[in-house]
Amino acid sequence: MMQIFGKIHPQTLRLIALFVALLATVLFFSTQIDSYLSPRMFTRITTSAAVILPIAVGQALVVMTRNIDLSIGSTVGVVAYLTGEFLAAHGDLSPLLVALLALGIGAAMGAVNGVLVAYGRVPSIIVTLGTLALYRSFLVQYSDAKTITTASLPQWLVDLPQVNAFSVLGLEVRVTVVLGLSAAVVMGLALTRLRAARRIYAVGSNPDAALMAGINAARVVFVAFVLSGALAGLSGLIFLAKFGNITVVAGLGFELKAVAAVVVGGVSILGGSGSMIGVVIGCVLVDTIDNSLTRWDLVSEFWRDALLGMLIMAAVTVDTFASRSLRRLGAQKGAQ
Amino acid sequence: MKLTKLGVAITMAAGLLGSTAMAEVIEAKPGQAVNMVLLPKFLGVAVFDQADRGAQEAAKELGNTGTYQYEGPTPENSAAGQIEMLTTATTQKQGVVMISNNAGDQIAPTAEAAQKAGTKVVTWDSPIPSGKGESLFVAQVDFGSIGTVMADMVYDEAGGKGEFAVLSASPDAANQNAWIDAMKKVLASDAKYKDLKLDDVVYGNDQSEESYNRALGLVDKYPNLKVIMAPTTVGIVAAAKAMQDEKLCDKVKVSGLGLPAEMVSYTMNGCAPEFALWSFVDLGYLTYYTSYMLATGSLKGEIGEEFKAGRMGTMKIDADPGRPGAKRVLMGPFTVYNKDNVEAAAK
Repeated sequence: MMQIFGKIHPQTLRLIALFVALLATVLFFSTQIDSYLSPRMFTRITTSAAVILPIAVGQALVVMTRNIDLSIGSTVGVVAYLTGEFLAAHGDLSPLLVALLALGIGAAMGAVNGVLVAYGRVPSIIVTLGTLALYRSFLVQYSDAKTITTASLPQWLVDLPQVNAFSVLGLEVRVTVVLGLSAAVVMGLALTRLRAARRIYAVGSNPDAALMAGINAARVVFVAFVLSGALAGLSGLIFLAKFGNITVVAGLGFELKAVAAVVVGGVSILGGSGSMIGVVIGCVLVDTIDNSLTRWDLVSEFWRDALLGMLIMAAVTVDTFASRSLRRLGAQKGAQ
Repeated sequence: MKLTKLGVAITMAAGLLGSTAMAEVIEAKPGQAVNMVLLPKFLGVAVFDQADRGAQEAAKELGNTGTYQYEGPTPENSAAGQIEMLTTATTQKQGVVMISNNAGDQIAPTAEAAQKAGTKVVTWDSPIPSGKGESLFVAQVDFGSIGTVMADMVYDEAGGKGEFAVLSASPDAANQNAWIDAMKKVLASDAKYKDLKLDDVVYGNDQSEESYNRALGLVDKYPNLKVIMAPTTVGIVAAAKAMQDEKLCDKVKVSGLGLPAEMVSYTMNGCAPEFALWSFVDLGYLTYYTSYMLATGSLKGEIGEEFKAGRMGTMKIDADPGRPGAKRVLMGPFTVYNKDNVEAAAK
């Protein structure tokens, strides 16, 4: 009983702390930047975070199994390019099939990582560092220096970033934001409701115990990588719709943004714990900081990246200390 | 239109100055063997592939019996990759490495070592800022005159007065920084521009999403902003898309340096009515020609030498006004694109 209490409680507290941090950030910048608390700023931050959110969700799944997927930046680029190229030739493809195509390409690329990590037993950091370079090089070779341009894409895709899904209290929620959020909601529900999905936690928190419990750990890890790839495919599609112009640098460095969102969102790098609500808040927090710093007069361009790095480190440090003291508290209670 | 003429006039003036020197015009000696490498900032960029086309054209014309390679690093490894590839080219005893430098002065020691080992290093598009280790720089246009063109495009699009901001590539891109400085000088020195106010310079690091977000950041931060000047082909498209997405094209115009094929829809719909660029095919052609003549000994690489660079006509080595002690060959001119000529160029 105490054990369960000790396990759930810090998680919830962690989420509350994260949410408070987000509120504090927003409040702080609202005193610094004119017309900060505006519907426009809401749209700016949500649409920008929506590109990163799917890969952050995928990254979280992989990190929960004690692995890491560094290849997603290149996957986003390849999916955006290939999907764009296909659409340039077959502009009449239905939106649903386009989405399936993007997810499928991403999943196939994730499956390569999954096979090597889960069945080849190669450490994920090595495998995905390899495919990060490999996928990017493939894109460079394949693209032959040709750019996918907005003009070659079907109009519905180019217009997609401006389309409103619905409005709440005067705040516009764009379709791309709904797409990004749906990834987090589906995965979040699965992780809390589905027995199959909960195996991800089991494998991450104690692989040996999971094995003894009859869980096919290799298959769980494989599926996590496939999902990460498919979600990178979704990011790639949103990227294509939002920026239209796809070159070989598309998605470059996205893996770091995803890792930042995941870590700030309270997913333990040691595996086995974390929640999708945390990932969403983490993703929004990182993006809010980034978008706010560019509009803040006090910080020059050159300090922005450094400050963002420091804030991320601070978030992780606070989080580590907090969870450690909470665990100690829990252990004391357990001993009593 | 006005601007195109200005560009031509500047180049013509430079040409006239050159011909008054009355030096002997050196001709290339075709049919010799020089192994040459063209090294772009990184692979997969349209303009660098155009330069490759130009270089191949020159190689054919000169009947070079040596090898020609077009190779470069992948995007995520640009600076370190360039240094590594220059080192490899040196150990392979290549005759010339033609490089669009993306590694700042970090590449200077490697370039100096290459020169010592007998491999010439010619820069094009983007030079080595200190000029160390570089035989000479083939400049696409006079960096000072780009400043004037940038200022003029802002002047046109802002209607002569108002606020504008610059969206550049990376904070350490030698070429963009030089152009922005040149533009600032022009703004300060000519009374014509006294009503233009430069609000900010931000960097999108030649990434679509960063450039897109920076462009929106500028619009939010400076409510009176009239023009975003993006002297980078990635930045200008991203900024134009951002303004289009946010339906701001009537209020904020985008201008800068862009590729017609990527810009055509934004020029036609008024989001980016005017932008400029030079021919990268010509730049690659001239770079190859110059490098070949340098490696075969026709050119010594000294200031004042004049030479005939095939279809580009007579060129001259002069002192680089932006980099004391460094030498350059000036190509020019650039073309200003607007709705009258962009569609033809995009094909």
